[in-house]
Amino acid sequence: MKKLLKTLTETFSPSGYEDAIREVIRKEIKPLADEIRVDALGNLIVRKGKGGKRIMVAAHMDEIGIIASHVDDNGFVRFEGVGGVMSRHLIGGRVRFINGTVGVIGSQRGKENSMEDMFIDVGATSKKDCPVKAGDIAAFERPFTDMGSRWVAKSMDDRIGVLVAIEALRALKSTPNEVYFVFTTQEEIGTRGATTSAFEINPDIGIAIDVTISADTPQAMKMDVGLGKGPAIKIKDSGMISDPRVVQWMEKTAEKAKIPYQREVLGGGTTDARSIQMARAGVPVGCISIPCRYVHSPSEMVDENDVKNSVKLLTLLLKTESKNFGSL
Amino acid sequence: MTELLPFLKSLMSVSALSGFEGPASEIIEKEWTSLVDEVSKSKLGSLHGLKRGNTNIKGKAKRPSILIATHMDAVGMMVTKVVDGFLYVTEIGGLDPRILPGTPVLVHGKKDLYGVVAMRSNRLVPDDHRTYEHDLDYLLIDTGLTPKEVAKLVRAGDLVSYNTQPIEMSGGEIISGHSLDNRASVAALTVCLQELQTRQHLWDVWAVATVQEEETMSGAYTSAYQLKPDIAIAIDVTFAKGPGSSGWDTFPLGDGPTIGLGPNVHTFIHKKMKEIAERIEIPHAIDFLPRHSGTDAYMLQVADTGAPTLVISIPLRYMHTPVEMIKLKDVRRAGRLLAEFIASLDADFINKISWE
Repeated sequence: MKKLLKTLTETFSPSGYEDAIREVIRKEIKPLADEIRVDALGNLIVRKGKGGKRIMVAAHMDEIGIIASHVDDNGFVRFEGVGGVMSRHLIGGRVRFINGTVGVIGSQRGKENSMEDMFIDVGATSKKDCPVKAGDIAAFERPFTDMGSRWVAKSMDDRIGVLVAIEALRALKSTPNEVYFVFTTQEEIGTRGATTSAFEINPDIGIAIDVTISADTPQAMKMDVGLGKGPAIKIKDSGMISDPRVVQWMEKTAEKAKIPYQREVLGGGTTDARSIQMARAGVPVGCISIPCRYVHSPSEMVDENDVKNSVKLLTLLLKTESKNFGSL
Repeated sequence: MTELLPFLKSLMSVSALSGFEGPASEIIEKEWTSLVDEVSKSKLGSLHGLKRGNTNIKGKAKRPSILIATHMDAVGMMVTKVVDGFLYVTEIGGLDPRILPGTPVLVHGKKDLYGVVAMRSNRLVPDDHRTYEHDLDYLLIDTGLTPKEVAKLVRAGDLVSYNTQPIEMSGGEIISGHSLDNRASVAALTVCLQELQTRQHLWDVWAVATVQEEETMSGAYTSAYQLKPDIAIAIDVTFAKGPGSSGWDTFPLGDGPTIGLGPNVHTFIHKKMKEIAERIEIPHAIDFLPRHSGTDAYMLQVADTGAPTLVISIPLRYMHTPVEMIKLKDVRRAGRLLAEFIASLDADFINKISWE
């Protein structure tokens, strides 16, 4: 699991450029799936089982990134964020462009707070010898680090969700339901892959697997989620209210299997579940969140037990017999 | 058939926040059952009432339909964390934290608990936050219970709703309380359905009480996709003139509903509605909506393959507070105007629609 997570997080695939990560995932799930296809937006759609409830499980495979806006005469690359990039995480960091070029991020003196005043130095001396041109896309360069029971990497948002989905698919030898694991594209720029894949699949239930903020650090936001206390069952975030029936189904399943869980009310951000909920005539949705510190920084931290418990919970949910869905 | 005032008061007396509209839905379903031919629910919980057209339609032509959306959810709060027996909350929908301190609330934990929104003395608030604008981060809810008791009864994700009773003012013509946004419009749509009982109308009418308008408008969006109406109208509330709000975008209480105009509104539908208001002498004003109308119409317009839309609004003071205020006259007028519009729709109306 750890080895796969290292590969997943060290792959460079910002929103809109998910080719590399899609191939990593495809290789991993190929022996496990009943059917695999890629849709027009690049979503990797993996079916397991036939008949029963149609359940869509969405884990986004894109990550936030950086895009070059122009290169100045001295070869410094100016840039903008792709997705929710925060300037405070950037200075001194490194990025890797899709073509392999690595750059370091510097800033104009005294203007360390604004992305507009930052630049990427790729070692070029002029615009002419700069290997990066406007429109080239990059992601954070930061290796996976194993701290024991806690793991740190770039793009843990949402490669940890991708890992949970893959491991659940692996654990799911059979299911009475028709499960669609969708490794979605472009989540970070507005849950766009989920919009079209949910429209196509038209599921009965939607589950997003994503990270949430772990608010157990000094002076964190007022939120009841911490690392190591179990998967977070989302009640609400700023873009979606989970269907109470789905929340109840998740909680009951966790309680029955004695899986610890937390109730998540997130003040900022949203997930693919938002788009699934609004697909066609509407879909009851919920979200299993993996608590994560420093979300959208190059060093996102998760807890091993939370990950394992998330896999367990998701697998059990997908095995639910039709008579046990209650009012869903 | 219930009278308007008691019906509206019963709607205002339940807590039905976005995503948790059950209690309001129950009351509305009970009232609509006798007014429509069929009642059903969408996958997200919006209530669909179908009143079939009752005049003959030529040949095998498909009977056109109009959807009237009134959202039944309301703004409120949700517990994010319990600290030493006090509750921290986030908002459901948009709240103005300035009006929250001192507000009586109901905390919907394992059982309903009384609570008040409290804040620390100004002296105890950090310097850079010592203003009269109070961030939700610095407000908390006190239930009067011990931390131990609270821990047993309340957890993150529990709902908190305003706990104020409706007040009749001005001899019962003005009503004030929480959730008038948008239960006043639900009442107006109900008035419209009552009017239609004795009217002939060719079009099918979908009366829809939508969910989650205050958060994502997903109710209107998904119901319009499912029902595929030929015309869609949202009834909502708009800003009434009052202390400190007197601009061009505010409207007097009691001078009639407003008819929206802007890119979120089809000019032809607007013109027809205005003509009818003039013909039956219903006072009204034009509500200019330069961008997002801030109503379900925003989503109704683009759901499925799209529909011509309109917004009818009831002027309301103190939006999203526990003391919202409307005049009943405006509710009745909005209902009557809609009924008249629906009765006027002929088989050919859609083909006559022209763009400006």
